[in-house]
Amino acid sequence: MNTSVNLGGIKMKNPVTTASGTFGFGLEYQPYVDLQRLGAIIVKGTTPKPRAGNPPPRIVETPSGMLNAIGLQNPGVERVAGEIMPRLAELGVPVIVNIAGDTVEDYALVARRLDGVPGVAGLEINISCPNVKKGGIQFGSDPRTAVEVTRAVKSVTGLPVIVKLSPNVTDLVGMAEAVAEAGADALSMINTLLGVVIDVDRRRPVLGNITGGLSGPAVRPVAVRAVWQVYRAVSLPILGMGGIMTARDALEFILAGATAVAVGTANFVNPRATVEIVEGIETYMRENGFSDISELVGLAHRA
Amino acid sequence: MSQLVQAEITGHAEPVPGVSRIEFYAPGLARAAGPGQFVHVRCGEGSDPLLRRPISIHAVDRQAGTVKIMFQVVGKGTAWLARQKKGLLDVMGPLGRGFTTGQTRRNCVVVGGGIGAAPLYFLLQELAREGCARQVKVLLGARNAGRLLIKEETERLGFAVRVATDDGSAGHGGPVTELLSEELQANPGFIYACGPVPMLRAVCGMLESAGVPGEVSVEERMACGVGACLACACRVREAAGGENYRRTCVDGPVFAAEEVVW
Ligand SMILES: Cc1cc2nc3c(=O)[nH]c(=O)nc-3n(C[C@H](O)[C@H](O)[C@H](O)COP(=O)(O)OP(=O)(O)OC[C@H]3O[C@@H](n4cnc5c(N)ncnc54)[C@H](O)[C@@H]3O)c2cc1C
Ligand SMILES: Cc1cc2nc3c(=O)[nH]c(=O)nc-3n(C[C@H](O)[C@H](O)[C@H](O)COP(=O)(O)O)c2cc1C
Ligand code: FES
Repeated sequence: MNTSVNLGGIKMKNPVTTASGTFGFGLEYQPYVDLQRLGAIIVKGTTPKPRAGNPPPRIVETPSGMLNAIGLQNPGVERVAGEIMPRLAELGVPVIVNIAGDTVEDYALVARRLDGVPGVAGLEINISCPNVKKGGIQFGSDPRTAVEVTRAVKSVTGLPVIVKLSPNVTDLVGMAEAVAEAGADALSMINTLLGVVIDVDRRRPVLGNITGGLSGPAVRPVAVRAVWQVYRAVSLPILGMGGIMTARDALEFILAGATAVAVGTANFVNPRATVEIVEGIETYMRENGFSDISELVGLAHRA
Repeated sequence: MSQLVQAEITGHAEPVPGVSRIEFYAPGLARAAGPGQFVHVRCGEGSDPLLRRPISIHAVDRQAGTVKIMFQVVGKGTAWLARQKKGLLDVMGPLGRGFTTGQTRRNCVVVGGGIGAAPLYFLLQELAREGCARQVKVLLGARNAGRLLIKEETERLGFAVRVATDDGSAGHGGPVTELLSEELQANPGFIYACGPVPMLRAVCGMLESAGVPGEVSVEERMACGVGACLACACRVREAAGGENYRRTCVDGPVFAAEEVVW
């Protein structure tokens, strides 16, 4: 049985990875998961300089989901490249670093620093953060800036580049086509959906940041739809995520067209979720007579 | 090291209305646990409630291999948990950095407010085991006499307990911090505290003025409980100067009193 996949040049022994920001730098989950069982590890969003993050409360639970407003707290690219990557590289699992910034130059700076760092198998560009120079407009909601960021990163790195799309746009397919044209090697979707929760007793928003990103099972159908539509329009491999809790959820994304899947919020509920999903996909393939995972990718479109 | 276990429930009680105490069998966890650490408990099988709930370890019996938690019902998760009288609990732990004990901390005062008494009982078990019950003062605060927690069991361990209630129905009438300010006159060596935010803020202020060191257990909303998601940020003063966020789940929940920025 072959479960290995090629995500735009990143070779994974199975299609299961971790969603950025939900798995720290991987080592936090070592007491619960054999990290070597994972297809890849995607680590926390990394910026040029360390960031302190947003004031608490940073999360609030919602029906079958949660809002988060962490604010990209991270130790900065120097420490990620110099201190964290050497430890992660020993695992022998491909590591994909999620990168973020306030300007196009920020993204390019982080990408350049990570090029050639042992263990780094690829970059995932988070274009869902606000563009400070352009008045806080998200890179991810303006195809022109998304294209600029993609080109800037591609021009300074030899690593495969995955562009992570935001669902908070009116034309997701247009955005996917634009960044594909700009040279992305793969697309990942979805990042969180913007939301607000109000505390009725205190008559004010719960989160310190007011708005936060919705994740968890509540967003799954929206995420599967995103994968479904982009798969039909763009030929790049897709990394699907959004509310995956079990192997069956992961298979929905694969059948909709995802080459690989990322597990996020589920780690908080079941720290062994990733490995159980790897095993569940293998069982499904065996029971249903599939010998290669690639037979399943996008199969629902051909039904 | 922390573990993920399906632990059999071996006991259930309601010490005061709206507060539950659950005992479960988890020998590895009981062996590894220290006072002030917590467990991350799944509260339901479906996706609502979704996240685990952090609950401090209330007591351990290493010989019997059992662990107790004590919690107040405040919402969906704790309401579900309070209904579990038998069967299996999905528990991760022990997690976090707990209280530090030892020689230099013996002449101490332990201050608990409301449900904040829960983790302090485990600390008192350890202090009793270290043989210093006689040197330690325990101050417990509650709304009224009917809501006092851990008083009898603490006395049974050999500690002297002073009580404060908001309505004066038991012990001193007024906040437990008024008892603490009396105790601070006697120059105790160390203070341990857990309770609601206003109480902890007041305690930290008093310790600063008195120049007495101490540790407090704080709460923040948590998702992962293992340091991976950065949800549980607590603002602290850095020794090197300046302020920063630290993760309550791995750098806490117990912090030095002088570190916490309220
Ligand atoms: C390290 C740690 C140890 C804890 N130990 C205990 C304990 O020993 N006994 C106990 O009764 N409680 C303890 N708590 C608080 C407990 O985790 C919350 O009361 C619980 O998560 C609420 O869940 P719920 O679904 O019942 O309520 P929800 O419906 O989630 O919320 C109800 C109310 O509780 C508040 N709340 C929600 N989550 C938290 C949280 N993580 N911390 C503080 N307030 C919260 C909300 O603001 C809301 O007002 C601890 C919290 C932490 C962080
Ligand atoms: C606490 C938290 C932090 C996150 N941090 C990042 C981040 O730094 N960069 C990023 O691109 N996405 C981040 N995400 C989004 C996830 O990677 C993922 O796209 C989203 O949560 C949907 O997947 P899920 O429902 O499985 O969690 C974060 C999500 C959560 C819940
Ligand atoms: S709860 Fe995730 S880092 Fe503390």
